[in-house]
Amino acid sequence: MPPDPYPSGTDAPSTDFRFIAHYNFPPFFTLQPNPLTRSSQLETWSTHILSYCRHHRIFTLTLIDALSTPLFHNTILKKKLSLNDARTVLNWMASKEGGERIEWIGGKGGKESKCWVFWRRPEEWADAVGSWVEATGQKGVVFTLYELGQGEATRSQEFYGIDRELLHRSLQILVKKGKAQIFGQEDQLGIKFF
Amino acid sequence: MLLRRLDLTTALRPSLLPDETLLFVQNAVGLYEGKFKIPQYQNGHAYLTSHRACYVDNAEPRKHSVAIDLKEVNRPEFYAGFLKSSPKVTLYAKPARFGARSDSFHPPSSNATWVCPICSFSNPVPSNFDPATASSHTQIPPCLACGIKPPVHHVVKAALRQAPAAESQSTDRVKCPRCTFANHPTMLSCEMCEASLVTAVDRRLIEAGRAESPGPELKELSLNEVESVKFSFRDGGGGVFYERLKSALVQRKWLLQSAPPVPKPTPPPGVPDDSNRMVGIARLERHGQEVRQNNQLIIGNAFEDLEALMTSAKEVIALAESFSSRARGGETDALLQSASALGLTTTKDVLNSDSLYISELSRTLAEFLTDDAKGVLRREGGIMPLVDLWAVFNSARNGIELVSPSDFQRAVEMWDKLKLPVRLRRFRSGLAVVQGRDRTDDKTIASLLSWLQTLHREAPPEEASWDWRLYGRGVTAQEVARKFGWSVGVASEELEMAEERGVLCREHGLDGLRFWENWLVESKQGLGLT
Repeated sequence: MPPDPYPSGTDAPSTDFRFIAHYNFPPFFTLQPNPLTRSSQLETWSTHILSYCRHHRIFTLTLIDALSTPLFHNTILKKKLSLNDARTVLNWMASKEGGERIEWIGGKGGKESKCWVFWRRPEEWADAVGSWVEATGQKGVVFTLYELGQGEATRSQEFYGIDRELLHRSLQILVKKGKAQIFGQEDQLGIKFF
Repeated sequence: MLLRRLDLTTALRPSLLPDETLLFVQNAVGLYEGKFKIPQYQNGHAYLTSHRACYVDNAEPRKHSVAIDLKEVNRPEFYAGFLKSSPKVTLYAKPARFGARSDSFHPPSSNATWVCPICSFSNPVPSNFDPATASSHTQIPPCLACGIKPPVHHVVKAALRQAPAAESQSTDRVKCPRCTFANHPTMLSCEMCEASLVTAVDRRLIEAGRAESPGPELKELSLNEVESVKFSFRDGGGGVFYERLKSALVQRKWLLQSAPPVPKPTPPPGVPDDSNRMVGIARLERHGQEVRQNNQLIIGNAFEDLEALMTSAKEVIALAESFSSRARGGETDALLQSASALGLTTTKDVLNSDSLYISELSRTLAEFLTDDAKGVLRREGGIMPLVDLWAVFNSARNGIELVSPSDFQRAVEMWDKLKLPVRLRRFRSGLAVVQGRDRTDDKTIASLLSWLQTLHREAPPEEASWDWRLYGRGVTAQEVARKFGWSVGVASEELEMAEERGVLCREHGLDGLRFWENWLVESKQGLGLT
């Protein structure tokens, strides 16, 4: 099982996760009107969100719930990003300019309440899995998706504990490239690498 | 008659002497000496004051500006113009009496005294007393102490005795070319700065041979003495100039300069001074009553005794003027006069055309702002909203000749064109402010930043949850306004200007908007990720 995506309280993350310096700068939590300052601020927010999610291995964010987590809420400063500003930040990250590190679940026209956080994009995951298979000489071997994501063999890999849907999506990329083949039904998906 | 150099104010207008009032201004004026045009003095403003007729050049006002003292003018002459020839006003000099020198020299009446042969009281020689023309028919006021008239030759002697003394004192000194210290003529180097005085002495020798220096450009034309000066009015206004000049020559206000003031009557004892306690209409009525009483007293005193009339000439003339204007033109003229008494001299009445009114108003405003004595702009921290200026300016006019917002706006927009030392600035929000020309955004930002940097060393007033040694603290517009003496509107505009430049960033907090040094952008060089 993936770890709790929304650790509660500030003590747990602050012990091992080091927030970026700006996290302690009060204006960081107000979106700046000056375009230059703003783009720099959005970049910093993006860095902050991605490193936070990577550390806590968060693959999806539910905006409303995330607002009260240390990600958006600095309890020491008593400052937090407002819902609208947080949405602006995530939208920026979803844009080309922001490197498409966010993808709203349900598409752009959706409710924009839940999103993927691509601290690695699906292509990057696909590469990671592909190169692991190659490095361990397991071409031609058939895996279940569960084995790849939660199996003993991949425990040391970065993609261990990956969201199942994200894994599926990443593997589709390998399939498209002709490097793997997916078969089976719903829960029983298997994959074979060539 | 002499063309004198002219002191200009910051707004490039003649700086007026005390008691001097502006009577008329006209643009597009050229200057002639006799029949000849004077080069470089062909496009300027003519300012007629109660004491002088001035020419201020448009192109190089500091260099090419001259004034003619009206007291040296014998008579004016008006030429109405014909075909392509513009209307002109000619000022003829009073005939020379003492040779080249006498004209430039007027015994300062405050210095010259004659001692009464009867009671040995030192009386002032009247300022209009001229020893050269004095005869046994000349009217001489009697001794102020004993009331006996002195013999004419006695006063003439007294006046002549002091005249050369006063002159030699002023001219024998050699001005140091470097530090302007007036050295004794025998010195070869300046006592103050040790600069060589030899050249200065030479210049003095040259100048000693002729009259006091006219404008330098005229030297090249070898115009030592000017018989007549012509103002050529290429854009009209000559007629009015002539009329006002004539009346100024009749009024001879310059004579008032040395007249002593009327002794103020002491309030009768026993009557408590409660005028300050009254308010409203009662106070106004009381004030009017006081004025009337005072006038009565002045007139009563003055005519009681002709000697006293001489001494209180100043007040009596002023009073007579105000009475005459009241009789002549009703209330408005009297109001105009009190307006000019305030020193705010540009009224529509003084000026002929509308555009000239605007440009003169523009200059008046600039003077009003930069006048050190009033310090209007300085008190506001060097910057003030335009609306505030309009209010202050109009209230300084005491409710008379108020400037309409549209005229005001146009006048303010002329500052740039007239190269005046103040400028109008519009913030993005549309707030218009007035500030000195030397005050740039960069300077404002620098002063803001240097203040914010000091906040790294002072702990914030309330307990801070952030690292204030690293980030300083955020400031509100109110704090900035208090710190720099700006109005709050100006402060927030300046802050936003700095924010727009990327120097500051904002924080919306529970207690309003605060501005911080912009660490968000500097992250790349300074803080980075830790």
